[in-house]
Amino acid sequence: MTMLNPDFAEELKQFSEDSALACFNCGTCAAICPLIDSHFPRSMIRYVQIGAKERILEAATELWKCLHCGLCTQTCPREANPGEIILGLKRLVLDHWRKS
Amino acid sequence: MTQAKEKEKQHATKVGVYICHCGGNISDHVDVEAVRRRLEKVPGVAVARTNMFMCSDPGQELIAEDLKNGVVDRVVVASCAPSLHETTFRNAIRRAGANPYIYEHANIREQVSWVHHGAAATEKAATLVEAAAAKAGLLRPLTPIRVTAARHATVIGGGVAGLSAARDLADRGIPVTLVEKSPCLGGQLARLDRIAPTGERAPELVRALADAVLNHPHITVFTDAQVIATDGYIGNFKLTVRQEVASEAFTGTEACYIPFSGMRPAGPSPSEPREFNLETGAIVVATGFRSYEPRQGEYGFGDFASVITLPTLIRKMAEQDTEGSFLEIDGRRIRSVAMIHCVGSRQIPGIHPEDASGRLNEYCSRTCCTATLNAACRIRETHPGTRVYELYRDIRTYGRGQEELYEQAARDGVVFLRFEPDQAPEVVRADPTDGYPLKIRVTDTLTFSENLEVPADLVVLSTGMEPNDVSDLVEMMKLPVGVDRFLLEVHPKLRPVEMPVGGIFVAGTCQAPFDVGETCNAAGAAAVKAASLLAEGHVELDPFVAEVDAERCKGSGACVEACLNPGALALVEMQIGGQTVRRAQVTPALCLGCGACVAVCPENAIDVCGMTLSQYEAMVDAIVADQVAADALR
Repeated sequence: MTMLNPDFAEELKQFSEDSALACFNCGTCAAICPLIDSHFPRSMIRYVQIGAKERILEAATELWKCLHCGLCTQTCPREANPGEIILGLKRLVLDHWRKS
Repeated sequence: MTQAKEKEKQHATKVGVYICHCGGNISDHVDVEAVRRRLEKVPGVAVARTNMFMCSDPGQELIAEDLKNGVVDRVVVASCAPSLHETTFRNAIRRAGANPYIYEHANIREQVSWVHHGAAATEKAATLVEAAAAKAGLLRPLTPIRVTAARHATVIGGGVAGLSAARDLADRGIPVTLVEKSPCLGGQLARLDRIAPTGERAPELVRALADAVLNHPHITVFTDAQVIATDGYIGNFKLTVRQEVASEAFTGTEACYIPFSGMRPAGPSPSEPREFNLETGAIVVATGFRSYEPRQGEYGFGDFASVITLPTLIRKMAEQDTEGSFLEIDGRRIRSVAMIHCVGSRQIPGIHPEDASGRLNEYCSRTCCTATLNAACRIRETHPGTRVYELYRDIRTYGRGQEELYEQAARDGVVFLRFEPDQAPEVVRADPTDGYPLKIRVTDTLTFSENLEVPADLVVLSTGMEPNDVSDLVEMMKLPVGVDRFLLEVHPKLRPVEMPVGGIFVAGTCQAPFDVGETCNAAGAAAVKAASLLAEGHVELDPFVAEVDAERCKGSGACVEACLNPGALALVEMQIGGQTVRRAQVTPALCLGCGACVAVCPENAIDVCGMTLSQYEAMVDAIVADQVAADALR
């Protein structure tokens, strides 16, 4: 059982663009992503939306599979900019590693 | 053979038979071409033709051409139910310059192709069409009954639909009486604040409409009033209205707007209940909806004071119209609001419990998604500290400018969670360590069906619409009701806002869940139809009424006794062959065309026009003819 954490969005602002909530979970980004056949990158965007920081840290290595081709950002119908958010999450993870 | 039958036989007729494919609806199961070949050989049938859609313009043209060229003088169309297209084809015949009553309809869709398959379907279709052709051969041209129509309309219900319809009718110069059950005008619209998607203020809309109605010289308004009895027919309805003593004495000399109740017309209201009669030509039923009341314990409703409905939230927000970082409800600071969609709508048998009367609201109420998003956006704009979560099954933002509201909510930081109907969210008391009074457990399909918990100070249930209980009107006025309990218009595309009883129209949320704009559209449509009906000062009725053969009538009076509608039949004195005799006489406008008189007449002297005994005998003959022929060959 995960409790939603609305304060995570604030924490993330220093690392990433604050556009995750514009996403309406259509899955276009996951469908177009050439690298990974799971829900990536929507899974990460969704974890940001609900503030599931632990989930993001657990799956941190997935972030480094992203080549930043930009297809997700290009095709996002809500202009939620998933590519930028993935980049921001890498910064968050690095910051977290540095501190731990 | 009776004399009448012989007389009818003398007019040799040329029956045209037109068989519809209904785009496959019929022809997928009925061999339409085989039916056509069979009908071609029936005596009296001049031509038999088929068409993909007989109701289409080319289909209707086929019939018109044959009539104009003198190829046929009686018409049978074999297609869908007559309730759908009988009028269409009668009108086509009228446009071709012929009498529209030389028409007979055979239903080979609902009665054949939708319920039978294979050779049996074709056989039954052919039999029905043969019977219709046999009847058509005996049809006579008839003249519609013309009755005077009172230039007056009555609108039942003073919500936005009733107000709109009354104003539109009165603007056409037609005197209108508006009857409203409650003390105020404005209905459910008066219980709203800002209307999505434009943000217009509901009180201003209600005030503008109610002012127009109350100040209109052609409109009389009765509040605290109900129609308790109806009588009569199109153009000549007689209504009995009962006006109660207002629950709260109101003596204001000017109409006043009471927030969340509506516009109270100027007093004084009557000091004693009174009943009065209205003679009216047309009736608009605009009885509206009520908001679904969640049952005890539904999403914690009734168990927790901080579980409220959307209408309650709207009212509380309007009444405490303050700005500030956090929304405050009942003096409590709201850090987190969770809004649950589809409460009392889209209920599924086996998943949602039925109400006390065993009913489920299986329909989508259509307006609640947008209303919820509208409220969410409003909270985020005016109280940015308050978090908003929306838990939905599906978001359906119908209509212009409404999808934008969904996007706006997302950009305003509203977090959405999606649940499956059989995994409804659970509203529970939170643990002391959670820091919130309530939390919602939800299996969120957007998070790959993980179990999540939403912290909440306030839970808002987006309740749907239910039609108001108008069973008394339904009973009195013979209004058709759907399984969803909303009133059923004759046909949503071909005859919208019309009831099957002539002269009665519906408008607004008594028909289906509508938003305010759609409600006004329906009200406008009802007003226009009622106005055009009353514009001429008379209306024409179908001539399917009883007719007495004065030569055969012996004045037994059996028909008068059997008659179901008082006044439709009477024994009157008349001169026949130099003698004063008593004979039956019909008042056509009152005759229901039921045929009770036909069944009891010992002399066979009374018939219902367009449905005579001899015509039915011909149908039966046609139906058994094939069997007789088959037996003879055996």
